[in-house]
This record gives sequence, C-alpha cells and structure tokens, in this order.
Amino acid sequence: MSEFVRGRLVPLLVLLVVFALVPYGLAKFGKGYFFQVAQLVLIYALLAVSLHLVTGAAGLLHLGHAAFYGVGAYVAALLGTEMKLGFLWGLPAAGLAAAALAFVVALPTMRLVSIYFAVATLAIGQMIHTVLLNWVAVTKGPNGVMLFSGITLFGTPVKSPIAIYFLVAGLVALSIWVLHRLSHSYYGNALRSLREDDQCADAMGVDTVRLKIEVFTVSAFFAGIAGALWAYTTGYVSPGDFGFNTSILVLAMIVVGGLGSLPGAIIGAALLILLPEVLRGVGDLRNVMVGIVMFVSILFLPRGLLGEVSALSLVRRGFGLKWGAAPSDREVGWR
Amino acid sequence: MIDPYYLQQLAIGLSQGVIYALMAIGFTLIFGVLNVVNFAHGEVYTVGAFAGLLLITAFAPPFLVVLFAVLAFGAALGFGLERIAFKPFRRFSDEASLKSRAMRESTLMSSLAVSIVVREGLEIGFGSQMQTLPFDYLINKPIELGPVTIVTGDVIIFAVAAVMLGGLQYLLKRTRIGLSIRAVSANPLGAKYVGIDTDRTIITTFALGSMMGAGAGILVGLYYGAIFPAMGFVPGIKAFVAMVMGGLSSIPGAVVCALLLGLSEGLATTFISSNWADMVAYGFLIVTLIFFPQGLFGAGRERV
Amino acid sequence: MTLTRRHLVALALAAPAAFALPAAAAETVKLGYQLPLTGNTAQYGQDFKTAAEIALARFNASGRIPAKVEIVFEDSRSDAKEGVTIARKFVDDEKIVGVLGDFTSGVSMAAAQVYKEAGMPQLSQTASHPDYTKISEWQFRNITTQAGEGPYNADWMVAKGYKKVAVIAEQTDWGQSVTKYFADEIAAKGGKVVLTEYFNRGLPDFRSLLTKIQREKPDAIYTGFFYEDAANFLKQMKQLGIAIPVYSTSAAHNQKVIELAGADAEGLSLTTNFLPNSPKPEVKEFVAEWVKVRGAEPGQFPAQAFDAVNIMLEAVVKTYPKSTRAAIRDALAATKDFPGVTGSTTFGADREPVKQLSKVRIVGGVFTPVAD
Repeated sequence: MSEFVRGRLVPLLVLLVVFALVPYGLAKFGKGYFFQVAQLVLIYALLAVSLHLVTGAAGLLHLGHAAFYGVGAYVAALLGTEMKLGFLWGLPAAGLAAAALAFVVALPTMRLVSIYFAVATLAIGQMIHTVLLNWVAVTKGPNGVMLFSGITLFGTPVKSPIAIYFLVAGLVALSIWVLHRLSHSYYGNALRSLREDDQCADAMGVDTVRLKIEVFTVSAFFAGIAGALWAYTTGYVSPGDFGFNTSILVLAMIVVGGLGSLPGAIIGAALLILLPEVLRGVGDLRNVMVGIVMFVSILFLPRGLLGEVSALSLVRRGFGLKWGAAPSDREVGWR
Repeated sequence: MIDPYYLQQLAIGLSQGVIYALMAIGFTLIFGVLNVVNFAHGEVYTVGAFAGLLLITAFAPPFLVVLFAVLAFGAALGFGLERIAFKPFRRFSDEASLKSRAMRESTLMSSLAVSIVVREGLEIGFGSQMQTLPFDYLINKPIELGPVTIVTGDVIIFAVAAVMLGGLQYLLKRTRIGLSIRAVSANPLGAKYVGIDTDRTIITTFALGSMMGAGAGILVGLYYGAIFPAMGFVPGIKAFVAMVMGGLSSIPGAVVCALLLGLSEGLATTFISSNWADMVAYGFLIVTLIFFPQGLFGAGRERV
Repeated sequence: MTLTRRHLVALALAAPAAFALPAAAAETVKLGYQLPLTGNTAQYGQDFKTAAEIALARFNASGRIPAKVEIVFEDSRSDAKEGVTIARKFVDDEKIVGVLGDFTSGVSMAAAQVYKEAGMPQLSQTASHPDYTKISEWQFRNITTQAGEGPYNADWMVAKGYKKVAVIAEQTDWGQSVTKYFADEIAAKGGKVVLTEYFNRGLPDFRSLLTKIQREKPDAIYTGFFYEDAANFLKQMKQLGIAIPVYSTSAAHNQKVIELAGADAEGLSLTTNFLPNSPKPEVKEFVAEWVKVRGAEPGQFPAQAFDAVNIMLEAVVKTYPKSTRAAIRDALAATKDFPGVTGSTTFGADREPVKQLSKVRIVGGVFTPVAD
C-alpha cells in the first residue's frame, strides 16, 4: 500500500495539481502575472532537476549549470531568428547543442574529483558566459537576441497564456519523468555509488569517468531544453541571465529542497522563485528576507526540506524487506 | 632591453596578483580546517572595507590605526560568522555526519545565505553606489621606477601580504595553536580523539582568516578608492580559483597561483581585448587541472 | 550620514504610498514604474525613484486634472525574469495605463515583449539598445541615442584637431552603439580610430588597458562608460601619468565623478543635454527639489527620468478623463516640444526623442559649459 502511495499516488496527485488545479486557478483569476510566475517555476524546476542529477544523485558539485541553460536559450533563439527554424526544431536543437558542448568540455575535465571538479565547472561556466557576452559576431554579444516568432506547433501558433502554460508544463513534466526514471534505476544507483564513494565504485567495476561524462551531458541536455523554453516564453535572451548568480540560484534550489531528492529539487525551485514574488510587499527588504528564509530553512533542516534518506537506513530497510516479505522486482531502485 | 611597455604590464599584473593573493590566504586557511567553501568570505572583505570607511569618516584616524582596527573587527566578524553559519551544522559529530555530503553542502548554503543577507543589507543601508572616500586616505600616489610606474598601495599591499604569509607560516609551523589547526585540518575526528579542542581551533581559524579578509578589503578599497557592496564578488571567485589551483592545502601555493592569475590577466590584455581576459585566467585553470588534477602544489592528501 | 538621510527620505516617501487613501482610489490614474531598487544597479533605480517622486508630487500639487496620479514602483533587480514578471503584473492591473522603465536595455526589451502583446505604452528613461523602439509602436524612450551623441562627439574632436582616437566602451549593448556610431562619423571626417576595446562594467583595474592605449599614442580617448567606471578610469590614468584628453558621453555626467575622482577628473569633456546650473525655471525647480532630498546636484540620468515621468504625466493630462492605454500611447507619440529639464523633447515617427546636445568640461571641480 505504502509502495503504491509513494510510487503512484503522489506523482498522480502532483500531475493533477500541475495540469488541472493550477491551470483552473490561473484561468479563473485570468491574470498573465500568475501564468508568468507558474511558467518560471516550471522552467526552474526543470533546471533544478537536471542539476539534481549531477549534484544531488551523483554528488558532483556543479557551479556552472546556468551556462548550459544559456547555450540552450541562445541556440533556440538564434535558430529562430537567423535560420527561421521554429520551436519544434529549436527545442531539440537547444538540448543537443548544450549536451554536445557539455560532452566536449567534460572529456578532459571529468577525471577531477570533489572541489577540483567544482572549480572546473565554475571555470567552464564562466568561460561560456564570457563567450556569450563577447562573441558579438555570433551571439550578438550584449545586444542579446530577440525572438519575434512565437511558438508554432505544426503550423498552429500557440498564443493564449493557458496554451503556452500547458505546453511548457507538458514538456517539463516529460523531461522530469525521464530524469526521474534515470535517477531511480540501476543507472541512478550507479550514480549514487559515485556520490557515496567513487573509488569504491571504481573498484566494483563502475566506469566512473564514463559515468560522469554521461551524467554531465544528460544534465546539460535538459538544461538546454529549459533554456529553449525560457527563450520562447520570454522572446528575448541576453547574456546577463546566464551568469554565475543563476548557477548559484539553481544550486541553492536543490540544496534547500534537499540534496539528492528529486521532489526536493522541484519544491526548492518553487520556493526560491515564489518567495521573492510573495515578498514584493515588503519592498527593498525582500532579498534580505529571501536570504534569511534560506538560512533558517537550512538551519533547521540541514538535509533540506525533503532530504534523501541516509544511505545507511536505506540499506537497513532494503535488507529488512528482503528478509521479511518475498523479494519482488519492485524493490529495485530507490523509490 | 625589454620594451618598458611589457615591464609596465608585468608590474600591473603582479599588483593584481598580490590583491588576489591577499584574499586567497584567508580563504585557503578557512577551507583547510573545514573543507567547505566559505561563500561569505567575499562579504567579510566587503564588510571590512565598509568598517574602515565608517571609521575614516567618523574619526579620521591615521592609516595604521584604520588598518589595525579593521583587522580586529575582521577577527570579530570571523567569530560571528562561524557562530552563525558554521557552528550550528557541527552539532552532529559522529563519523557519518562528518563525511556526509549533505552536511557539508548545507554549510556551503548557510554561508551563501549569510552572504546574501549581508550584501543586500549593505545595499539597503549604504546604497549600491561607490562610497566617497577622503582623498588623503587613498594609497594610490604614483611612484616612478625608471620606465615603470607603480603606486604606494602596491608597496603597502605587497608588504602586508608578505607579513601575513610569513606570520601565518610561522604560526602554523611553530606554535601550538598552529599545530592544532593543522591537526584539525588533516583529520578532525582524530584531532578530537587526541584531545584537541576542535571547536576552539575552528573558531581561531575563522578569526584569523576573516581578519585577513577584512584587512584585504580595506586595503583594496583604499587602493582603488572604490568601496561598494558588490566589491567582494570578483576577488572572491579569483581567490577560490587560486586556492584550488594551488592545491587546497598549501597557502604558499595559493599565493603563487594568485600571482600567476593576476599576471596572466594583465599580460592577456596586451594580446587580446580586455573583456576576453577572463578567458585566459579560467583557461589557465582548466589546463592546470588537466595536467595537475590535485592542483599545482597539492600534497597527496586524503580525498575530501 | 548618507545612511540616515536616505533612510528618512525612503520612510517619508514610502509611508504615504503604503497607506494611500482608499477613498481616492476610485478615480486615481495609475502608472507603473519598473526599475532596479535592489541589486548592484540599485543606485540608478533609487535615483529614478526619487526623480519620479519629485515629478509626481509637483504634478499632484498642481491640480491640473481633478484626479490624483499614482505611480506603482516595482523592483526588477535588473533581472530579466523579474522584469518580465513585473510587466505581466502591470498589464494585469487594468487601472495602469502606462509604464515607465526599465533601467537596462536587456530588461526593458524582455519586458517590452509583454507590453507589445498587451498594448501597453512603455517609456524608458535609459534603454539605449538600437532595436528597443523597433519592437513595436508601444515603445518610447527619453534618452539621446548614440546615433546622435556619437557623431556630435566625433565632430567636436575633429574640430579640436584630434585625428587619432582610441575608443573604449563597456561591454553592453549601449557600449556597442557608442563605438559604432562614433567610429562611422570620425572615419567620415578623416579621423582614425586606432584602438577599440570593450571592458566589463565595474572593472576595478583599468591600468592594463590604459597602458595599451598609451602605446598607441592617440590624440584623444573617447569613452563610453558610466560615472563609477569613469572615476576609476580617470584616477588610474593620472596614476600612470598619462595625459591624453578624454571625451565621454552624457552617461558619465554625474556629480559623483568629481566626488570620487577629485582633481583627477579635471579636464574630462563630455556631451550632455542637462545643465544643472542652467537659468531655466524648470531646471532650477528640479535641481532645488533634488538638492533638498539628496544634498547634491542631480546628474544626467535622474534628469532623464524626471522628464520621462513628466512626459508621461503630460500624456495623462491630454487624455484625461479618457486615459486608456491606447489614448496614452497616441498622446505620447504626439509629444512635441515638451519643455523638459533635458531640453525640449519631440518624439519622431520612430518614437525616438530628438534632443539638443551641449558641450561640458570639468573645470575647477564643476561641470562647466564650454564652446569648444
């Protein structure tokens, strides 16, 4: 029963909320503002979940995630304006371009461990940002790229806020589902072994370097998708949106939500996007408040809002189940 | 004879490097004991500069008094920072928690949260603009050395950095407190078992590191005549990079790498446009890490 | 000291806004103003807010329309995602008939996409991106673009006999337009740009760049930077003992340059369309009000914001009591010879202002109008 609740009911409820309750509420209020905030939450949720794969599941501190988000946004926007390729081309192209770039930069750097890895990703992120800002001939530099064409699906323009919301929500849900399957599988377990002890994992026959390159690339792919969604929902991208601060913001989301937990990443994203909006009323103090809320939440929940159960208790529970009831296939992975 | 142009660029690059080094010393010291990135170090630097500014506008004391007052203030800041952002997360001292990534990352976040609060607070209190400083206090009077021009601040900052580095090396290698700092840095649990007061050692380290951070802040603030709430951001990143390049455990290594970083940026401006100079610094870092995955001066210490 | 004054002012100004009388709300005309009130560009946003409050208080006291006008300020932190969200919020509020801001072109243009869709007139005091007003018929701005300022400066320098010029500008859309329009004109007049460089705004150390400029031995340096970078640049130039005349744009026109750089700022030449010591009554009144609140003379940007707000209010007057978004837009587009503190403003068919520039040089620690 509890397995059913955790495995099926909760995701169903979440989907119900995202696809029925929220749009119903939004449509009732009829405000573009709420749609905009909801879309931002969705895009950042995808970004946070894609970072969760690298930093949460595989335990690699990634300080340059926003750069791949930026690459995705730029590819989508540039394909749209320069090549006149629409959303259906731009979306996958954005993901693939970000993934390809991640793959190339990952090849030499993924042997690094711990803080060396973190600072390498920081450097990669800063370099990509520098290129976006200064390679005027291609990225238009600080002028940014304006994307006049809206979203068109199979010749039908998607214009109304609710339709765009559903499109974004659908794509984000699909991506998060894929990421969820990835991190809750044998593959995800391999990633966790990397987090817990990479030398041990290596000794057990896990190809850690290859695994790191793969997970870095996959994560960049989804960051690129998030970037394309941002480009198409905003209509204008400029390099300032993809700097170090954005990387840190996304990192803060997954830590506040609970490192290693996928739902935590989503909740963290919702919290850190909604909080500054909710606090608009307090005026100039609002960002101080955001910092204080972050601090307090970390102070009282050092593992985050929905931290993953510690490895030890999981093992204990796993053994307990194996010894107790008949082992079933469903016990594989971390549900 | 070398073109004086290159000598001048070399001098400028070196002075940049010394500024990064000043910041990197404290940063590396703090990283050493806790193995966590202290995101608030840049804010300690900024707050140190603002404290000096307030002191100058209120009492106009001599330069050395300002410097020492800020150093003392920095030590207090380090104490407070440790209390607020790091101590609460050391309440579990069993091995599992000490090794837990989640715990380590939560201190990373708490220091980030503190830094956000401090920076936003300063912006509300003082505004985001550069503060006006009395010109007498600026340490930027030119000194001509043949074809090369440096300023008084270069000499002062170099001297302070050298004293800090020397003093710290003496402290770490020759005194009891230094011994306990090194012990905690090598193995916190082991240090605890042999009877070292780890809490006190960590607090001391924070006080020392933050003292240097705050001192760097006021010196650089007076050097450029630019004190503003976001001033700690770029030096903070550069200090972080220098520390990792130097191999985490080595303070002289971090200093050397900070100098290299400054030099590479200064010289890069000659050959490429200055807005691309960051590329050189970060590219340099990546190349270093590819060939020296433990940093240039990293001892083969236990993995963190 | 700055601290307490700022606080008191903020409190005094925020209090009435927070407790606005609900009774009067029925007929107030609302305007939106999106600007960075926090973050590292907050100093500009706070300046705009003060300017807007001065303009609004004066307007509401004048009783030119029977209703009160209210401005809703929202903080964008110069962050595009917040800017877009605010834009949606303003569009949702049916009482808001016009929007001012944002500060940076990036955020203004991201928000402009929303205003274009919704049909909301947007008037920015500073958005300088060449394509900003091309987004749609709803975008206006009150800043002389570099298309006017660059050639004006180029002509000035050529007239002074400076043929070899080094150009540096910050790496923003605005900096890009600074170098482009200037280079075109100076080449046409027989001059030569010997070096073009960009730097990131807030660069602490200009000395490498300065040494590089010195090696090219230009007759003069043309610069596109804001006042804080200007102060740093000028200070470090003096340190290195470089004596080359520096020319700049109106963006560097702020008392703070002199405050921050002191004697090192001496001799900086720039173009502006706002002269705080002008005898015109509207300028005198604005400067007096500003000094009352801030204690120092206003610079170019606050003046532009003050005019932008007044132009918007003028459009409200013209359309009242039928102030709809479309009516405001048409009224804005019809703005002709508006007597502002930055000179008289007329919007062309491209919704760009046409402004008169004048030459200023820092002499003896003050911005002094000069003939050459």
